[in-house]
Amino acid sequence: MLALQNVTKHYKTRRGTVRAVEGVSFEVRPKSTLALVGESGCGKTTIAKMILQLERPTAGAIAFEGANTATMNAAALKQYRRQVMAVFQDPYASLNPRLRVGTIIAEPLLAHENPGRAAVEKRVADVLDIVGLPATAARLYPHEFSGGQRQRIAIARALALRPRLMVLDEPVSALDVSIRAQVLNLLADIQQEFGLTYLIIAHDLALVEHFSDDVAVIYLGRVAEAGPTAEVFAQPRHPYTQALLAAVPQPDPDHVLNEAAAAGEIASALDPPSGCRFHPRCPLAIERCRSETPEPRGTPHQAACHLVEA
Amino acid sequence: MVLQVENLHTHLHLKRGILRAVDGVSLSVGEGETLGLVGESGSGKTLTGLSLLRLLPKGSGRIVEGSIRLDGQELTTLPEAAMAQTIRGRRIAMIMQDPMTSLNPVFSIGDQVSNPLRNHNIAQGAALRSKVVEVLTQVRIPSAEKRLGDYPHQFSGGQRQRIVAAMAIGCTPRLLVADEPTTALDVTIQVQIIALLRQIQADTGTGIILITHDLGVAASLCHRIAVMYAGRIVETGPVRRIYKSPSHPYTQALLAAIPRLGEKRSRLQAIPGQPPSLIDPPTGCRFAPRCPARMEKCAEQPPIVQLADGHEAACWKLA
Ligand SMILES: Nc1ncnc2c1ncn2[C@@H]1O[C@H](COP(=O)(O)OP(=O)(O)OP(=O)(O)O)[C@@H](O)[C@H]1O
Ligand SMILES: Nc1ncnc2c1ncn2[C@@H]1O[C@H](COP(=O)(O)OP(=O)(O)O)[C@@H](O)[C@H]1O
Ligand code: SF4
Ligand code: SF4
Ligand SMILES: [Mg+2]
Ligand SMILES: [Mg+2]
Repeated sequence: MLALQNVTKHYKTRRGTVRAVEGVSFEVRPKSTLALVGESGCGKTTIAKMILQLERPTAGAIAFEGANTATMNAAALKQYRRQVMAVFQDPYASLNPRLRVGTIIAEPLLAHENPGRAAVEKRVADVLDIVGLPATAARLYPHEFSGGQRQRIAIARALALRPRLMVLDEPVSALDVSIRAQVLNLLADIQQEFGLTYLIIAHDLALVEHFSDDVAVIYLGRVAEAGPTAEVFAQPRHPYTQALLAAVPQPDPDHVLNEAAAAGEIASALDPPSGCRFHPRCPLAIERCRSETPEPRGTPHQAACHLVEA
Repeated sequence: MVLQVENLHTHLHLKRGILRAVDGVSLSVGEGETLGLVGESGSGKTLTGLSLLRLLPKGSGRIVEGSIRLDGQELTTLPEAAMAQTIRGRRIAMIMQDPMTSLNPVFSIGDQVSNPLRNHNIAQGAALRSKVVEVLTQVRIPSAEKRLGDYPHQFSGGQRQRIVAAMAIGCTPRLLVADEPTTALDVTIQVQIIALLRQIQADTGTGIILITHDLGVAASLCHRIAVMYAGRIVETGPVRRIYKSPSHPYTQALLAAIPRLGEKRSRLQAIPGQPPSLIDPPTGCRFAPRCPARMEKCAEQPPIVQLADGHEAACWKLA
């Protein structure tokens, strides 16, 4: 459905080149969910922005159903943009406070096809119904809704054009624990009903295990490990994935946290470590890790680590 | 007991009306004990913590009823000058939710960590400087001595949180209130802060109130848990009881709603509806509009039921 080939993004800044994303490849299968996980600043949002055409890759290709988005003509690009929609982390910031909910939801619809007033109203009511809000919600403003309801509105807006791929950047992390499950269940239902494909960015690993079919673990702009979620979580191969999983505090007082897991902090993308970017924090690092960048090995469960056999 | 809070009511007087943010909270913290105050956003956790320090929003916030005793000394009636000189930052310290609200961007961290030590006459001159280096080293700021002149923006998010912790523990407080100290941080940094709080407690015997909505963080750090919902504590108990045999329908629903590692479920068990407004809360049990076990009696305020040693819950179902 969606394939990234060696995608790289460098930002030129006054302090030097920020290597935000470096040679990232993965594929999202139709009607499935791929999760991107990794620490803050590792490049997840940058990857999402490139897929949404909000940023242009420095190198590499993004293909949608086999067609390279970089060489699409204007008509194909317009088609691509309406098939790929996004829901962002903060439902407070992503909805224009001065517009009524109906206008917010209709915006992409008017921009892309303008089907006439009655049809627009009907579609707005339809998507509101899908996300579990009454049709009367269209006449109200965002501030009249709770955080969970606002995220439903953002989802309704993304659904209005009947997209095929949705990019969900931390869709529930701004929401309360008791509301998260409502929104996640809603997203799962919509995916089933409309055959949607999801790319989700999340830092809650338990949520990722629950919600995704495939996962890519990113460390400092590179894919450390990727594969079917069940396999990666049951048998993590990359020392970084192992450290991440060991560090998750669990709602169980008998669980012992591994406090030594991944000591230290993620390096700066301005000056990433040589060789394997994880080597300064890796408990298993060997001499070779300092100089040689490990290639991803294994399929479909792959890990980029010198200690991992194919 | 280090801290004993009884029937605390804290109101915010807003234009929209009176917001009953803390509505009859009782809790206690022993020497070397960590109490987890868990609940969703807006349930009154932070305002409970701020009430202990009498640091409520100026103008609108007021403790209207109840008692707060630190080592037996009543704080609600203490004059403000005594509060500032002997309690705030000295015997009760707070790590705020966002480290940047506690750190001033225009002062070096050496200055900022010295402040409470100087104000409370803990150390002066050369001794002050070495004390600052000592606490910064204790919270594992690498080469602390060389970094005293650096400013907050020169540190990572995890380091800033640790610097705020250093400011809080310098005067070896009797009680440390840590408000969501790990929420904005990555899991790998989160464990480091959890380990740090544990170490501080082992070294100084301070009592800790950990405010969090993360049930994983609370389980890994707390001895006892108090579950807060809409301004009230609905269940309190030893950590094992709360997680292994939660009794209040809200605690049960909360624990059932979170995904867990190693457990693939096709659907999460969602809690319907949303928390009530604290300006106009439902009479009786505040969880009633969302409670699957609701009955007629729930329109009246539920009694607090003792379930086992130190384990109690406010619910008609258990009465
Ligand atoms: N416009 C920009 N200019 C310069 N650097 C940038 C820009 N956008 C992102 N970066 C840098 O690129 C790296 C990746 O950032 P990105 O926002 O993709 O991280 P992320 O994984 O989404 O993190 P988080 O979990 O905190 O949202 C970071 O080092 C960030 O500081
Ligand atoms: N300065 C303030 N002005 C107005 N309302 C406030 C203020 N601080 C907190 N509140 C309100 O008081 C209630 C409890 O807030 P708080 O103690 O911060 O909750 P928590 O820490 O559990 O998220 C919420 O309804 C919140 O919106
Ligand atoms: S390549 Fe080396 S440093 Fe990198 S994860 Fe593997 S063992 Fe660790
Ligand atoms: S008192 Fe009633 S409504 Fe409240 S939690 Fe108990 S059963 Fe539910
Ligand atoms: Mg991001
Ligand atoms: Mg708070």
